[in-house]
Amino acid sequence: MTPAVTPYPPGRGAGFLRVLHAEWTKIRTVRGWVTGLLAAAPMMVLAALLAGVGGNQEGAPPVPAGPHGGPVTDSFYFVHRPMAGDGSITVAVSALTSSIPKGPGDLGPGTVPWAKAGLVIKAGTRQGSPYAAIMVTGGHGVRMQDGFVNDTAGPPGPVSAESPRWLRLDRSGETVTGYASTDGTHWTEVGTARVSGLGSTAQAGLFVASPPAVRGGGTAGSVSTATFEDLHTREGRTGGHWTGTQVGARSPSFAGYPENTSGSFTASGSRITVTGAGDLAPAVRDSLPTGGHLRDLLAGTFAALIAVTVVGARFITEEYRDTTIHLTLAASPRRSRVLVAKAAVLWAVAFAAGLVGTLLAIPLGERLARGNGVYLFPVSSATELRVAVGTAALLATASVLALALGAILRHGAVAVAAVLVATVLPCLLTALPFTPAGLSKAVATVTPGAAFAVQQTLVPYHQVASNYTPYYGYYPLAPWAGFAVLSGYALASLAVAAVLLGRRDV
Amino acid sequence: MSAAEIVVTGLHKRYRATRALDGMSFTVRPGLVTGFVGPNGAGKSTTMRVILGLAAADAGTALVAGKPYRSLRHPLRHVGALLDAVAPHPGRTARNHLLWLAHAQGLSARRVDRVIEQVGLTPAARRKAGGYSLGMRQRLGIAAALLGDPPILMLDEPFNGMDPGGIVWMRGFLRSLAAEGRALLVSSHLMSEVQDTADRLVVAGRGRALADAGVAELIAAASGNRVAVRTTARPDATRVLGRAGGAVSATGPDTVTVSGLPADRVAALLTHGAVPFSELTAHRATLEEVYLELTRDAAEFRAATPTEAPR
Amino acid sequence: MRTALHAEWTKLRTAAGPRWLLLGTIVATVALSTAATSMATCTAGGCGGDTTRLALTGVCLGQATIAILAAQTIGGEYGTGMIRSTLAAVPRRGTAFAAKAVALTGVVALGGTAAALGSVLAGRLVLPESGDRALSLAGGPTLRAVLGTVLYLVLIGLLSLGIATAVRDSATGVGLVLGLLYVLPILSATVGDLHWRRLLERAAPMSAGLSVQDTTDPGGPSLGPWAGLGVTAGWAAAALLAGGLLLRARDV
Repeated sequence: MTPAVTPYPPGRGAGFLRVLHAEWTKIRTVRGWVTGLLAAAPMMVLAALLAGVGGNQEGAPPVPAGPHGGPVTDSFYFVHRPMAGDGSITVAVSALTSSIPKGPGDLGPGTVPWAKAGLVIKAGTRQGSPYAAIMVTGGHGVRMQDGFVNDTAGPPGPVSAESPRWLRLDRSGETVTGYASTDGTHWTEVGTARVSGLGSTAQAGLFVASPPAVRGGGTAGSVSTATFEDLHTREGRTGGHWTGTQVGARSPSFAGYPENTSGSFTASGSRITVTGAGDLAPAVRDSLPTGGHLRDLLAGTFAALIAVTVVGARFITEEYRDTTIHLTLAASPRRSRVLVAKAAVLWAVAFAAGLVGTLLAIPLGERLARGNGVYLFPVSSATELRVAVGTAALLATASVLALALGAILRHGAVAVAAVLVATVLPCLLTALPFTPAGLSKAVATVTPGAAFAVQQTLVPYHQVASNYTPYYGYYPLAPWAGFAVLSGYALASLAVAAVLLGRRDV
Repeated sequence: MSAAEIVVTGLHKRYRATRALDGMSFTVRPGLVTGFVGPNGAGKSTTMRVILGLAAADAGTALVAGKPYRSLRHPLRHVGALLDAVAPHPGRTARNHLLWLAHAQGLSARRVDRVIEQVGLTPAARRKAGGYSLGMRQRLGIAAALLGDPPILMLDEPFNGMDPGGIVWMRGFLRSLAAEGRALLVSSHLMSEVQDTADRLVVAGRGRALADAGVAELIAAASGNRVAVRTTARPDATRVLGRAGGAVSATGPDTVTVSGLPADRVAALLTHGAVPFSELTAHRATLEEVYLELTRDAAEFRAATPTEAPR
Repeated sequence: MRTALHAEWTKLRTAAGPRWLLLGTIVATVALSTAATSMATCTAGGCGGDTTRLALTGVCLGQATIAILAAQTIGGEYGTGMIRSTLAAVPRRGTAFAAKAVALTGVVALGGTAAALGSVLAGRLVLPESGDRALSLAGGPTLRAVLGTVLYLVLIGLLSLGIATAVRDSATGVGLVLGLLYVLPILSATVGDLHWRRLLERAAPMSAGLSVQDTTDPGGPSLGPWAGLGVTAGWAAAALLAGGLLLRARDV
């Protein structure tokens, strides 16, 4: 008679928690894996350090900021005189032509859709001071704009000597109203703006601005000339001469005039011809090339991505190599549970390491960059937090994608390469100057690399023509939508991996 | 069915062109060491992997304590397995290797230290497994199998890579586990090891169990009624014994083997016929002979099967 | 050396992995190149940039599979323990390593040629008339770009072999190689100081090496085609040296 053996008394914890506990023990007991995952944090910090000390803008002129707090381009040719209190100013625009350099020193006619000629009432000639303006544009008809970011469309169509456009600005206290007319007698209201800070005596007059023209992946400086007629002001006039001033001649958000051109105005009879360059608009990455943004400080994400991807893939493929997977599945026969537990543990560790990295890297990089006089595009703390959390989630999810591909392919090197090609290569392709914009936007939408949209902090403006491409920090997808693309890939791969793991013999 | 039983019934499995399992059936009973023998490719490892739910059979069932392995809630508390060729991650210490396994079953670190002690690995427990010898890895594998204190143990080639001291230790260890009432399935291609350890034997060949019986029974059956006689007068011995109805064959210059007559009758006949002889032993077959005989029969049987005939 | 080389060649030839990876390299390279050229906006004046370089964009992708192939030739042996048999058969480790490198060079050159020629051919088919002129192989710069691309892929293979030997793991090796290739240019782009940025771009194996594809403005802001490829060769040589020395010094 042999004694009966009773199974060892059951321990604590439910089924899935046990698998989770086992996977946690597994990941934390291989030093290489822990090092790889935790390395994400110092890599982020190191890159932020590099980016922070790498640029030196000390002594550069300050970046003008508008009333909304954001950076602006406030550089244009202004023909003005003071206007005390309330008043009105009217003019007819009969021509607006633009020129773009064809080669060095060789200017040719060109189209600049957002070339502007019209009237402006501005607190002063200081950059960033509040204003309201009504204008004709190269390709967007009449517009009423104020505070750099606000834009209202008026009657469409271009101007010419045969069909000039009359423009009018009325100031009444803090309210400025813009009107447009095709004959000088019948007026339509285009818009009303409340402009605080105009002061008791504002500067009012004509202005011409000509932003850089977008060509291929870059921009070229342009210059525009407008013909005005019939300029008169009512009330509020304090008299004095019309003065021509280049506002913001030296500014980080103004690239200057094309070679051999300059701003000017000439008057003959009732006709005034004004030539100008620059813009009266919010600054974007393209127009403020020295400005840094949060993404620049987080370049370490790519290095960290490699580290977590390698660990993610090895976390499963080494089980196949050592055939530890036999033991794992013998201990936990519900196979999809094992995969989910692995993914959860990996995600959590990579996320934690990434979050520590971003939370350290962002303030450190910002402080260093600002200390070097580098202007950073302002972001709210909520956005900053979104970037930090999003970047950590990106790292963690990419790592899980590597795990899933590793489980499918059972080959570490291929899994690592697949994830890196899918996430990093799109960013690189979009950064190459000769990559067509279409390809650039396509890869930033459909590949897992779309997730880098979580690092977007820049805002595109429809009234500023620019290269709104991923290269400059403008992504085609919204931050979390981009992240969802990566998550979709990761979840789909995980599902495929679970099905295959369940079906395959090991 | 007992909680300490494995019942394998009619397992079939094909890997592309090869037929790995072809109706494998046997039972592993509590309190006994069941040897699982056969050459490489006989289907031993595949059977064990099917029992553990690592590979799926095309047909047939493998039940552990009355249930398919994959439906067990805490499998390692029912079955402990030492799998051939499973290496712990080289970067992990032995203790940590057992720790994750313990956590998967809700077992404590105390239990881990207990099994490490049981297999005599305590001095090396906190060293990385990458530097382990094959013998140490086997001990670690046994420790993993014992972790859940299971009533069933399934050990694939436990003697592999063990030094003579280790083999002796392992033999005693297996016997003591069986004495506690556990069911043990021990696969090996070293027949002599199994002969000294096992109570029962499952002989695998060509994906099926050629025999499933007690070791003593099998050996007796294979030994037959044969007696070896050493004599200087071989022709006389052949004549005397042949006349009494025995089948005699010469097996050496001064030895003959007689079958069909018991040993005492042979002795009496030789003495009566005044044939000189110096040694007379009842022949005892080895497991190797048992195995060879069984597989030879199987080969003949299979060759005669019409379904296997070439078309 | 000859027998060692023969052995390595047989290993590469008889495993399914390298064959698929080589095929993958060709398909991936041609596919991405075709996608890039088909999305270019071409006018009579040209396609807004360097047409040849555009038609060879796919190399960015193809080099990844080459990196896997190369890392796998040694990393796979470490994974399975076959490295012991390899070094038992050819005890002079330098010879064994050199044989691997030479066999790999042959295989990558073969696949690279197919990939580069396929990309240019696809470019000629996709682009309108204006593209034809730039993509004619009779033209010196385009021929140089194709030849340079093949050499570039060979160098990336050797770089990957060296790194994978040093880390003894193909997954980690591939991660490091792709880090060097992909991440270095991205990191350098964040450096504000123009001097340092230029220096980093010239030192990075991918941005420097691929300047061999420039046909419109060779030697402009970059190092020049052959000097750029020389930088990549330097990286490959350093990696091979490090891998070779570690292989000799370590136990397996």
